[in-house]
This record gives sequence, C-alpha cells and structure tokens, in this order.
Amino acid sequence: MKHLIKRGIAATALLLTLPAMAEVVVVVNPRAAESSMTKDQVAQYFLGKSSAMSPVDQPESAPVRAEFYKKVTDKDASQVKSLWSKLVFTGKATMPREAADSAAVKKMVASDPKAIGYIDKSAVDASVKVIYTP
Amino acid sequence: MKKRIIASALALSFAVPCAFAQDASAVRISGFGTGALTWTNTDKAEFGRPNQASGATKDVTTGVDSNFGVQADYAVNSWLSVTGQGLVRKDAQDDFGAELAWAFAKAKVSDDVAIRVGRMGVPAFMISDYRNVGYANTMLRPPAEMYSQMLFNTVDGADVTWQHSVGDTTYTAQFAVGKSKVDIAGGPSLDGRRMTALNLVAEHGPLTVRFGRVDGRLTLNGSTSLAALLASLNTVAAGYRMPQAAQLASDIDVRNKKASFTSLGATLDWNDVVVQSEYAKRKTDSYINDTTSWYVMGGYRIGKFLPYYSHAKLTIDSAVNNGMPAACPAGYPAACTPTLAALSGIVASLRYTGVSQGEQQTDTIGVRWDFYRSLALKVQFDHVRPNRAGGLLINPQPGFHGPVNVGAVALDFVF
Repeated sequence: MKHLIKRGIAATALLLTLPAMAEVVVVVNPRAAESSMTKDQVAQYFLGKSSAMSPVDQPESAPVRAEFYKKVTDKDASQVKSLWSKLVFTGKATMPREAADSAAVKKMVASDPKAIGYIDKSAVDASVKVIYTP
Repeated sequence: MKKRIIASALALSFAVPCAFAQDASAVRISGFGTGALTWTNTDKAEFGRPNQASGATKDVTTGVDSNFGVQADYAVNSWLSVTGQGLVRKDAQDDFGAELAWAFAKAKVSDDVAIRVGRMGVPAFMISDYRNVGYANTMLRPPAEMYSQMLFNTVDGADVTWQHSVGDTTYTAQFAVGKSKVDIAGGPSLDGRRMTALNLVAEHGPLTVRFGRVDGRLTLNGSTSLAALLASLNTVAAGYRMPQAAQLASDIDVRNKKASFTSLGATLDWNDVVVQSEYAKRKTDSYINDTTSWYVMGGYRIGKFLPYYSHAKLTIDSAVNNGMPAACPAGYPAACTPTLAALSGIVASLRYTGVSQGEQQTDTIGVRWDFYRSLALKVQFDHVRPNRAGGLLINPQPGFHGPVNVGAVALDFVF
C-alpha cells in the first residue's frame, strides 16, 4: 500500500515536471541566410550582445522560456532579467519583443527575416526554419 | 519649476502606455525602483550616498537608498529612436526630487555603430549607467569610496558607440563629448566643460573587462567658504607682499581646472561565482584631492540567494601644495604669523572637507534574494572606517569618531 502511494507520488511528480521538459528549438525566418548557429551565437541575440537579429521572447510564465534560457544561456530567469535591465536602463537596447505562445512566435518569425525565436519542437512547421536544437 | 515639469513628464509617461498599447512596439515604457530602509549605529554623523545632502543615523530613513525611475523608448523607425528617463531620488537637495536622467536620440548607423545626441550617462564607471538600478546590481549600493570620486551623472553632448564581435568576444568602444553640471550638497554647483569620455569594454563569456577615462575642465561655483578662503589668501598676498599666498589661492581655486578620472574594471559571472572589481585614479589641478579608489566584491550564488562580501578603499595620493612660509619675516606686523598659521590650518583641512574629499574604507556583507520575478530583496551591512575626521560621512559632529556600522534592507524591482 505504502509502495503504491509512493509510486503514485513519483508518477505525479513526473507528470508535473513533464511540461517543463518539453523540447525547445530555435527558429528563424526560412529566408534567413544562416542554416545553423552555435549555442553562443543564439545566446548573444537573447542577451543583448548583438543587435544584428531581433529576438522574440515567450511570456515569463511559459515553461519553454525558462527551458530555453537554462539550456542556451546557462542562466535562470532572474539572471537574464538583471542582465537586460542593465542594457535597457543604459539605453543600449530594448527588451526583446514578447509573443504570447509558440504559434505567435512562429507568426512573428515568419514575417520578419531578422527575427529569431524559440518554440516547442512540436510546433515546428514550414513557416519557420530550425537553426539550433539545444 | 523645472522639477514640476519633469514630474508632469513622468506622470505623462505613465499615461502613454495605454495610448500606445495598440501600436505594436513603437513606445516602450520600462521602469525600475528601490524601496529601502537604512540606519546606522551613530547620531554624530550621517551616512549617505555620494553627494546626498543628508543621510541615515540611528533613526531609520528611506531617503538614502530608495529611488524610482521611468524610461520611455520610442522607435521612430528601424534606425532612429528616442529615449527619455526620469529619476526620483534624494540627492544634493534634501528632498525627493525628480531629475531628467537622460533624453537622447539614437541613430543606428550600421549593425555595429550607433550615434547618440542629447543628455546621456557619463560612462566613468563600470556600472555608471545603471548604478541607480538596484535590480541590475548585486550590491545594495555602489561603494562610496569609488563612486564619490566622479560626481557628474550626465553629459550633454554626443557619443558614438561601436560594438563588434570577433569569435566569442564582444568589443565595445564608446566616445562621448559634451558638457556637464551637477549640484553639490550644501549649495555649490560643479561645471564640467570640454568633457570627453572614453569607455572600452571587452566581453568574453562570463568575463567582462573595461577601461574608462574622463577628461574635462572643472569650475566650482557658489561655494562661499571657498570664496572666503581665496579672498583671505589674496588679501594676505597683497597686504604682506607674499606672492606664495596668491599662488596658493590660484592652486586651490576650481576655475577652469584640468581634471581626469581613469578607471579599470572587471566582472566575472562564472557558474555560481560572481566577482566585480574596479580601480580608479582621480587627478585635478585644484584643492580637490588626487585619489586612488578601488573595491573588490565576491559572491557565490546558492539557488535564489547570492551572498556577497566587498572591501572598498579611498586614499589620497596628493593634495594642493602649501608654499606659504610658516612664520613671517622679522619686522612684519604681529598679526602676520598667526594669520598665516590660521590660513595654513584651513588649507590643510581641505583634504578632509566637503563632498568626495577624505579617506575611508568599508567592509560589506550582504545577500541578494531573487524571491520572485523582477523582484529582489537585499540585506546589507557595512562597517565604515573613516581614516581621519568624518571620511565620506555627512555632517560629522564634534566628538564623532569611526567606525560606523550601517544596515539596510532594500526591495528592488523592474518593470
């Protein structure tokens, strides 16, 4: 009985963590010149070190966002926020645009050859090009 | 009057997001702030940030470490943008006053080059531009030992920034020209003319190093005590035919005097280790001391907590040289020698008198806790040791002696 409960808890815990483990991929416009990027190249756009491409974020509450930053920049949400606040309040850069979900990111990336975003792998279709998979 | 205009501009900027909310991304409103309580263990001197008119004593105050800033960024088109930032804090005037921190237009000339015109931050320090943004910093406040040594916050003029990545290293070079002005606690104001500022930064992964150099010509206006001292010296020079006194007056005066501030800095944010350090030299051709200032901060991230320790130190390299004789030649009026002695005493005390003068060191421990999105709570304790007189403390009373312990709790936010 006890074992069953324990297993039940373990299974629930697994379910709870599952959405956060969703696979994230980095996408750009299909017309973008690049066909692949390194982790550091992707990170520089999302950490404000280069303005050659314009990053598109997902909402702070989206698990895919935390997943992306952890895997690509090795930083958690508050570290990234602190870093951006340095750039924003020095007038060096403006915060990345924010899209509501993976579908909205795809829409923005599909319409802007300079945009770069990250979405759930399951959301990938022909409107975007996968450029990096962490 | 000026303050009121800025205050209404601030109020207006709050109304703007609603009006432009539909317009994809033309206007961006962002802001930052800190609500803080600061206290010390003495009533015989006050602890404040550089150039504040008053500070904390045993009575807890919100005035030292609290502030609030709002910034509006408006993208005119793909290459031109306009930025304005208003900041409310206690500074040289003893009330919470609003100031126009910056207002500039930025033209992106290419992917690597941008030109800005207007009012911008002076890039004198590693954390110059965001030193008021508590959330962007590890420590609760920048070390006074160093951040008191260059009082200009803004420069009115133009700058050019070049940013380029080679491999995994990003290089940034910034050069600004313009003029500046800052009100000094107690009433005077300091003018900076023919100002130039160079800021070179290299970032490689977790490591950032920088070199900064600010040059300019300083003029201190409205200091009655300085004017009185100079008048006395010139009277002595004329009355006692003592050219050394006139020379001393001209050496002390802050009128179109050359000044420079040179600094080196580094930050490391490697795995859970955070290190930040700066070293600076100030030189002026006036009574304002030539100084060396530095600090080293180290922290270690444990989940959402970041405990840190810092040591900061300000020392005087040299002060104005007093070439007056100690005594008057025989046959001079009896009052001559005591007058010289009194004036020499005042000149000697200049080293330790006024904003940014003096020597001091501080040991700091603190912790930053990122307990929620865009919010950080900090607790910090400083052990401040003025070397002589009051150090950088404000309004030291007779009988005051260090060290002083300072405590502070702050809630930082950004939006």
